[in-house]
Amino acid sequence: MTNLFSIEYITIFTSFALLVLGLWGIISQKNIFKIIISFSIVNTSIHLLLVSLAYIRNRTAPIIDSAVDRVNAAEKVVDPVPHALVLTAIVIGIGITALMLSYAFTMYKQHKTLDINQYKSLKW
Amino acid sequence: MVSPIYIIAILLGMAFMLGLLSKSGTRIAGILTSVSLALPVYISISWFIQILSGNADAITIFTAGSVPPFSINLVMGLEEAFFTSAINILGLLGFIYLSADLKKQGVRAMALYLVLIMGLNVVVMTRDIFNLFVFMEIVTIAVAGLIYLKNDNQSKEAGFKYLVAVGIISLFFLIGIGFFYFYGGTLNIDGFIAANSVVVKGATIAIFFIIISIILELKPFPANGWALDVYQAATPGVSALISSGTATASIFVLYKLLPLGSEIWLQILTVVGAVTFLGSNFLGISQKNTNRLLGYSSIGQVGLLMMVIGFMPQLGSAFKMIFFSVFISHFLAKAGLFWLSGIVKKESITDWGILRGSNIALFLFGIFLFALVGFPPFPSFYGKWQMVMELAGTGRFIWIVIILLGSFFEGLYLFRWLGYAIKGEKSNEEKLQIPWDKIVPPFIFGISLFIAAYYANSMSVYGNTINLIPLVFILLLFVIDFLPAYIKNTITIGAMVYYAVNLYPSISDDTLRVVFAAIFLIGGILTMIAGYSVKGKRKGFFPFAVMMYFGLIGLIEAENLFQFFFAWELMTLGSYILIIRGKFSMKHAFNYMLFSLGGAYLIFLGIAMSSFGNTSLDIGIIGLSTMPGWSYTLLAIGFLTKTAALGLHIWLPGAHAEAESDVSPMVSGILLKGGVFGLIVLFLAMGGEQAASHPLLYSLGWLGAITALGGNLLAVFQEDAKRLLAYSSVANLGYILFALAFMTNIGWLSALTYSINHFLFKTLLFLAIGGVVLRVKTHNMYEMGGLIKQMPWSFIAVLIGIITLAGIPPLSGYAGKWLFYNAVITKGWYFQGVLVFFAGTIAFLYCFKLIYSVFLGQPKDRFRKVKEAPIWYLIPQFILIIGIMIFSARPDLVLKPIGALLTQSSYFPSDSLSWENVTASTNLGYWSGYKIMLVIGVMFAVLLVWLMYMSRKTQKVKQFNIVYAGERPFTPETTHFSHNMFSHYYKALGFLSAPLATRFWNITNDITHRIADGSKRLYTGNGQTYLAVIMAYIIIIYLIMF
Amino acid sequence: MELVKKIGFVLLGLFIILNWGLIMSGIIRKIIARLGMRRGIKVFQPYINLIKNYSIRSQISHGVMFYLGPVFRLSGGIGIFLFMPLIHGSELWSNFSFTGDLILIAYFAFFGMLGMALGAGEGGHPYSAIGISRGLAQFTAIELPLTLAIISIAIQYNTLSISEIVAAQQGGIQNWTLVTNPFATVAAMISFLGAMGHSPFSVVMAPQEIPIGPPTEYHGTFLGILQTNRAILHVIEAVLYMNLFFGGATNWGILILKSFLVYFWSVFVGMVFPRFRVDQSIPWLLKLPVLIGIIAIALLII
Repeated sequence: MTNLFSIEYITIFTSFALLVLGLWGIISQKNIFKIIISFSIVNTSIHLLLVSLAYIRNRTAPIIDSAVDRVNAAEKVVDPVPHALVLTAIVIGIGITALMLSYAFTMYKQHKTLDINQYKSLKW
Repeated sequence: MVSPIYIIAILLGMAFMLGLLSKSGTRIAGILTSVSLALPVYISISWFIQILSGNADAITIFTAGSVPPFSINLVMGLEEAFFTSAINILGLLGFIYLSADLKKQGVRAMALYLVLIMGLNVVVMTRDIFNLFVFMEIVTIAVAGLIYLKNDNQSKEAGFKYLVAVGIISLFFLIGIGFFYFYGGTLNIDGFIAANSVVVKGATIAIFFIIISIILELKPFPANGWALDVYQAATPGVSALISSGTATASIFVLYKLLPLGSEIWLQILTVVGAVTFLGSNFLGISQKNTNRLLGYSSIGQVGLLMMVIGFMPQLGSAFKMIFFSVFISHFLAKAGLFWLSGIVKKESITDWGILRGSNIALFLFGIFLFALVGFPPFPSFYGKWQMVMELAGTGRFIWIVIILLGSFFEGLYLFRWLGYAIKGEKSNEEKLQIPWDKIVPPFIFGISLFIAAYYANSMSVYGNTINLIPLVFILLLFVIDFLPAYIKNTITIGAMVYYAVNLYPSISDDTLRVVFAAIFLIGGILTMIAGYSVKGKRKGFFPFAVMMYFGLIGLIEAENLFQFFFAWELMTLGSYILIIRGKFSMKHAFNYMLFSLGGAYLIFLGIAMSSFGNTSLDIGIIGLSTMPGWSYTLLAIGFLTKTAALGLHIWLPGAHAEAESDVSPMVSGILLKGGVFGLIVLFLAMGGEQAASHPLLYSLGWLGAITALGGNLLAVFQEDAKRLLAYSSVANLGYILFALAFMTNIGWLSALTYSINHFLFKTLLFLAIGGVVLRVKTHNMYEMGGLIKQMPWSFIAVLIGIITLAGIPPLSGYAGKWLFYNAVITKGWYFQGVLVFFAGTIAFLYCFKLIYSVFLGQPKDRFRKVKEAPIWYLIPQFILIIGIMIFSARPDLVLKPIGALLTQSSYFPSDSLSWENVTASTNLGYWSGYKIMLVIGVMFAVLLVWLMYMSRKTQKVKQFNIVYAGERPFTPETTHFSHNMFSHYYKALGFLSAPLATRFWNITNDITHRIADGSKRLYTGNGQTYLAVIMAYIIIIYLIMF
Repeated sequence: MELVKKIGFVLLGLFIILNWGLIMSGIIRKIIARLGMRRGIKVFQPYINLIKNYSIRSQISHGVMFYLGPVFRLSGGIGIFLFMPLIHGSELWSNFSFTGDLILIAYFAFFGMLGMALGAGEGGHPYSAIGISRGLAQFTAIELPLTLAIISIAIQYNTLSISEIVAAQQGGIQNWTLVTNPFATVAAMISFLGAMGHSPFSVVMAPQEIPIGPPTEYHGTFLGILQTNRAILHVIEAVLYMNLFFGGATNWGILILKSFLVYFWSVFVGMVFPRFRVDQSIPWLLKLPVLIGIIAIALLII
């Protein structure tokens, strides 16, 4: 754990970098698709974060197969719960992203523009 | 008992089933959906009832055959049962409301709807944080889908903003979950709490992300632009779901998750809630778009709920009741209003006049608004009261001010809206289409408000002291509103007589109360008699008239401050509706409401401050206030808004003048005495004579004197007869205030004499002039003239009225003047007194103008055939005249007992008026009303007989037979000297009547609205800005916390 | 029996006052004429006018209120007389002053004014209404110095009873309010000018522009009643001021002398000064006279 470049830190840093990048994208990009992509980046960064938090050094994936037997699985695998969470989160993320894209699509069909600054009919 | 898991099973199952149905099967699908929405209602309500009655305990449902932390568990406890019941009822009714739209979109939309309701149920019940996340996302997706239902440009835009904003928020939530699990080692909320993981330093960051995301879901000001857009753009049925449904679930989630965090979160929540409640309502005041306005209000209310939760420890055992009443008002009223908005289909609140097309809709609209603002007897009244009292108990006055200020702003825009609905322009071509499926849901919610009110009342600490029977009577009057007016009038009068007879024994030993009760009840009965002249049904009049009178009586009967305030608000509400009934009353009634609301909240604050450090709420605690300066001043200003002291008077002339003919005497002669009674209560609590040198009284004395002068001066320059009388009321209330402020025995005696007199002559004058106005159809005096021939009885009434008003002996007005002189000299307030006497002489000017312009001078051609005022107007007038005569001839009958009461009470022990038979004397002078009457009566009769003998051959001549340089005047119009009668006086003293107060309030109003309008531009409409604000919000809260 | 005696003396007093009023107005008009280098009317001309007016048999009426107006007016005048103690120390010449005090008289003055205004109003003549509107407007300002003065003397004597005020001034000129409270006296005497309706406050009747103002339409018996009233009212108002500020009267001779002098004060000023318009008189009255009145009170309370 002492090594700054160990896998845990790298993933956490990466996830943090992605988070910042994504958030920055969301508030700086004017194109709606780019915003959605930025959103996905944030999404991914969080998935990465979850997985990295679950990581325990020198352990393997929580899959019971030839490498891990049923009896001592608890000592050999990393925490399986976050992985399950990430799986679910990915699914949900896809759902949300899909919905966003479909909204973006219909918006584009109507106005022929993807510039978010053009969508200000509701305000104040 | 059906297991709550079936709620999920039924809803989810049906949602999948619907997918199997073909597109043509929408009809069947609709029925199936309704049934599957009805079952959860049954399940959750039965749980709620069983748990509440103690027949069942909260149950935990385990899934996947395992216990937490290895599985997800759901809990159905009392709170969960309550919230799921609310959500499921909303779901069912919302579906009925939306069914037409949903059918158009096909079965998939219905499936989406089912999923939404299912999601909300799970969000409430689950105890697993990740499960919570998942279902929140499901709700988000379902809502985003439903927003699309409207399928126009705006809704697409709003839907996208919503998705992105909520998407980002839930990502933060997800981060929080990650840390939550990392530090807590569990995803179970209870498990986390049990492990006491908060002490782990890193866990606070987990909690931060989790709670801040929930807070953001609740749309805190100002990070809520996306929500406003959604409220505005979505179809109102969906907005109702978002406002009442998802917000309900979210607020419960917040409540559920708060134990995770430390105490500091409660404080943060309080601040967030306060900022939201105040900010959102403030920005709302310049909003005209219906749904967006509702959005502002909705967000504000949720802010208030956050505040309530934040104050949980301070509110203690009262928390439940407060939360329930504030929540249920918001829940029912907001959904109801959104639904009504969907029926009316008007974008701007200024077009809501169309609502008048339906009585039911208008009625529902009214009660929803009243419930939101917090008028009694609706639940939020009890909630706000209790909350303010609890906060006051711990000295948190700043927070109270915030709550009241926010409520005031909310009242401002809601009542403006109500005004447009009741009085706004309405084109005749448009008809309000109300299909049954659109009106049933709001109707049920409207009725539920009353049920909720009943429960709030029974949960409230002082609720049991409220006499609910008159309220039921008022409700009954609504029910029988279809009957003709005279039947309802008779019932009302009967009820008032019955009430008066029953009331008398209980207050007969307190003359002060008897006097005011007589003014309120006898005055009420008399003015109601005039109502017999109204043909037709007079819809919506009687319930509110009774409400006003019951409120007034309630002031007298009140034993504690809660009852007092309850009655005060009831009176305000009733009188507001009465006033707004006038043809051109919209603006004036609105002004009245603003001042009344402001005044009521000042009173409220004053009461709260008085209660600080006191255990009871008896009226007497005002005097025990630990901050007497504040309490007294606030209460005094509050009461002065009702008595229309100069500066706070600008609502009065319009409100009184534009009201209906028989409403003007009610609100002028009678209602104003409510404020006087308030002042009396306050001054007595201050300690009567012992407090006579209090600086507040000194300033009130000056204020009263200036009011008297200003009111009379303004009255002189009026051309509108009723406005003239209205300004005269301002002045008379100034006299009363002045006399009360003496705080001496004789000063109070003169104040009470004035109150009685003002009631008698102002009711008389307003009835008489009202009767004339009914016939000539104009208020402008210069258009009338010479009506004495057509309306001799009205003339006599006005004559008696102005003699009394002017204080000319032998009528009772003189009693007031005489007592006044004595009081002024005894007290030593000479210069104020001189101002008041000066004002008194100015009153002659308008008295003359009134009677001359209307009844004397030159008759106009168009009024040659008008009839005498309706007999139903004359009857009360002559009863009042008899009253004046009795009071004039035998003032001792009334003044002796009052004097005795004042003297015997501990408040005014010094005796200054003594009676010898019918002669009253002070150490200054003496006066015998009876003998004066006798002397003048005999002399007048002798002279009259003599003149009749001397001029027995007098012949009557026609109109133009006057000494006019041998010519005949052209027309009555040019010969009737009335318009601008006192132009010379205006030239001399007109500068004193400059509308300074009006100008001041206009500018204040203007600036407030401009600031609100400017700040509103924070919501640029750009989705990206909204996101930036959300992120900034997180950062700021973070910085505040750490 | 007591009551009959009382009424007898009251009527006698009224008769004296009426005659003195008529003669006084004759004398005054004579003086005015002489000052204007005219010969003037006979001193008994007011009697002749009165008899003439009461004898006129052709009369017209504009309606009930028109008819009642003079009754109100005369009731007002006689009423003030009835409530006024005339001779100090005499129970018999105190009229009905036991029913009310100074305030009663101050307010009863309005009784006649109001009735008159209404009667004249029904006449339908615009000049009547103009006159009344001017009169009322000016009256508000005239009352103000008087109110201040009344309060001042009420503080000074600690009573509102006229008899007691008179009693307090007995024992020589040094005890008169004129000496003991000069500011109040000055304020009240200015107010008196307005009440009497001579120049500079004569715009109400303004013969040249609105022929005699309010009573324009009245004639015959009606006018006779109004003239009767004026004769009584002028004297009794002067008696009021005499009682309040000039030591009252202990016998009829002094009453006649003092009331003449008090009344003459208004005539004297009227001869010297031109007429104010209403919008001039009101600001004037509200400045210096009010200031004097305020000083009168301030001196007593400091």
